[in-house]
Amino acid sequence: MPKTTPTGRPADTAGRRDFLKVAGLTLGAGVLGLPRRARAADRVEISFAAAKWYGKETIRELTEAYNQSQGKVHVTHIELPPPSSSTEVHQALVQQLARKNGAPDVFTQDVIWISEFAGAGWALPLDQYVSAATRTEYFPGLIQACTYQGKLTALPWQVDSGMLYYRKDLLEQIGAKVPETWQDLVTVAAALQKGGQAKFGFLWQGKQAEVLVCDLVEFLGSNGGSVLGPDGKQVLIADEAAVQAVQFMYDTIATSKISPSDVLSWDEEPSRRPFTGGQAAFLRNWSYVYHIAQDPKESSIVDKVGVVPLPHFPGAKSAACLGGYQYGVNASTKNREAAVDFVTWMSSPATQLHFATDLGLAPTRPAVYDEPTLIKAEPFIHSLREVYVGATPRPVTPKYSQVTLALQSAVSRALASGDVKTELTAAKTRIAAIVGA
Amino acid sequence: MRTMAAPRRRRRGNWAPLLFLLPAAMPLAVVTTYPILQGVWLAFRNTALATQENAFVGLANFRTLATDDLFWNAWRHTLIFTGISTLLETAIGLGMAIVLSEYFFGRSLVRAAMLVPWAMPTVVTSKMFGWLFDGQNGVINWLLRSVHLISRNIDWYGSTHNAFGTIIAADVWKTAPFMALLLLAGLQTVPKSLREAAMIDGASAWQSFWYVRMPLLAPTMLIAGMFRALDAFRIFDLVYVLTGGGPADSTEVLSTLSYKTLFSALLFGYGSAISTAMFITEALIAVGFGIFIVRNMRRGA
Repeated sequence: MPKTTPTGRPADTAGRRDFLKVAGLTLGAGVLGLPRRARAADRVEISFAAAKWYGKETIRELTEAYNQSQGKVHVTHIELPPPSSSTEVHQALVQQLARKNGAPDVFTQDVIWISEFAGAGWALPLDQYVSAATRTEYFPGLIQACTYQGKLTALPWQVDSGMLYYRKDLLEQIGAKVPETWQDLVTVAAALQKGGQAKFGFLWQGKQAEVLVCDLVEFLGSNGGSVLGPDGKQVLIADEAAVQAVQFMYDTIATSKISPSDVLSWDEEPSRRPFTGGQAAFLRNWSYVYHIAQDPKESSIVDKVGVVPLPHFPGAKSAACLGGYQYGVNASTKNREAAVDFVTWMSSPATQLHFATDLGLAPTRPAVYDEPTLIKAEPFIHSLREVYVGATPRPVTPKYSQVTLALQSAVSRALASGDVKTELTAAKTRIAAIVGA
Repeated sequence: MRTMAAPRRRRRGNWAPLLFLLPAAMPLAVVTTYPILQGVWLAFRNTALATQENAFVGLANFRTLATDDLFWNAWRHTLIFTGISTLLETAIGLGMAIVLSEYFFGRSLVRAAMLVPWAMPTVVTSKMFGWLFDGQNGVINWLLRSVHLISRNIDWYGSTHNAFGTIIAADVWKTAPFMALLLLAGLQTVPKSLREAAMIDGASAWQSFWYVRMPLLAPTMLIAGMFRALDAFRIFDLVYVLTGGGPADSTEVLSTLSYKTLFSALLFGYGSAISTAMFITEALIAVGFGIFIVRNMRRGA
């Protein structure tokens, strides 16, 4: 992998290089030297704004690999803040896309922004470039999340989702099987708590924040329910399936007591710490926990952790809240063909394999999970294929950022008071007003 | 001719001081007045980044605000927080200031150390309070259990009954030393001779404090209280880091609500209406304190 860009500058001077590029183009003079101008002249220039990611390799280096792989398009990588600053990434993208001047040509976006960008007309529909057959090569939940009003407006890059962590050693001690339904989980968790093997039965995230909506989507989805109907207008949050699911969340704290009431103030890390500290039997969390659980410096449960899809209610299927970043093409791009060629390459099996082995990002194509190099380099990612089959998107609506705030407030109220039906009915009215049903 | 020239000279003379104010007024206008006016202007529009709406809607945002339970819920919390935390911080700060105004070994060291909690970034202290008050493995619960004040762990953040109180406690803990320093400065302006005179006249320690030092400290206390109240009104970091406004909106305050509306939902119009309401409330608090301060000074004079 070459460590320098075509200008011969070190790869880590993003802002300055972009500035110089613009300066060079405007002045037209040989500011950047002849070889560069010769290259730029016969190639289509596009820009790619991507959230920062850490790993053995950087996204910039992979972009360079694309530039080297063909001679028609040259992609300039623009680094956005990391996903942990998602509010900033969102703002930066909204401000740039709203200008409608074609920059950046290609961008990466959190799954929950896809319909917002599509609804605003900022994302190019990719239907004519991605055949129906190609779409079946991805996890169905991802295609669903990338589709807005029947049009594919994003292309899958990587996936993460909620999953169930369990203590293999504790389950063995009492001869219990890995739970498949929520009722099984309650039984096993309560037994382990009663027997004193675990202080907490089951930990999840109930903090009034985005993560609460993720947990909600999983309990809801695994009971066959959802927040919005397929049209994005019908509000189903007060339906029987939803009330049952939220009632179950409340019962883990109030009735079966397998979860401490502290979960109502816990997001990912506070709920992770007691688990890797050996105090809990089950934990709902994202894929990052596994590496911490296997690190002897951080964890007292090394090699005692198993990961499976989350349980479900009787007669329904397991649901895992879909997270991760996906590609989008700017609807105002002046170089549509080049942009589409680039995202197609970025989303291809070979590139996804590269992202998995060098950046630890889980592929969105099930087939990549069986590549021998992936099995060897990232056995944990390989084991997650079944989890991601159940990946379920959060409510698909351009008003998601308002819907999520209403959901966080309502579900938190329901979990605090136990008055589930009343709170969810109030939420239904509020959300209906937002989505304009 | 003379009558014509005189007013002209006077007018020129009147302009000069204003001209000298210009260098100070310009940055103020740019960094303070303009953003405030821009915020107020946005409050009358339905500006939303994601939908690209941007039209004048008159008082529509304020009408929505008037019936928005979440807004009034946050408004109430903010006022309660401001009132209780300012009172407690002033009372505790006063106690600390009185102790620190006496001579004892290592006094200057203690005085310097008191600034530490106040000088640390609130986000950092918030994280520390998160661990201290952790409902399961926190030091506070462990301490209370060790001295048998409680038999079971208290859920400091996850319960709607405790979360708001915990945040007030964390704020008092963090900011009382700062109030102590302000009041200490006030105490040191009270002439020593007055206390000595009171002692010679046979006043008890309490009488000398209540009738001699307190009245002289009152102006400082009011001004310090006003600063603290206006600052407390903008409480953000502690809530944002510790509870995110939950559980069940029980710790939502105006700053967190307007942040969510402005920067998560990107509703600039409605968010600005919330900020404008905040600004008006805060101005009323400032005026309230102002009246007290002026009265106090008149009485003193």
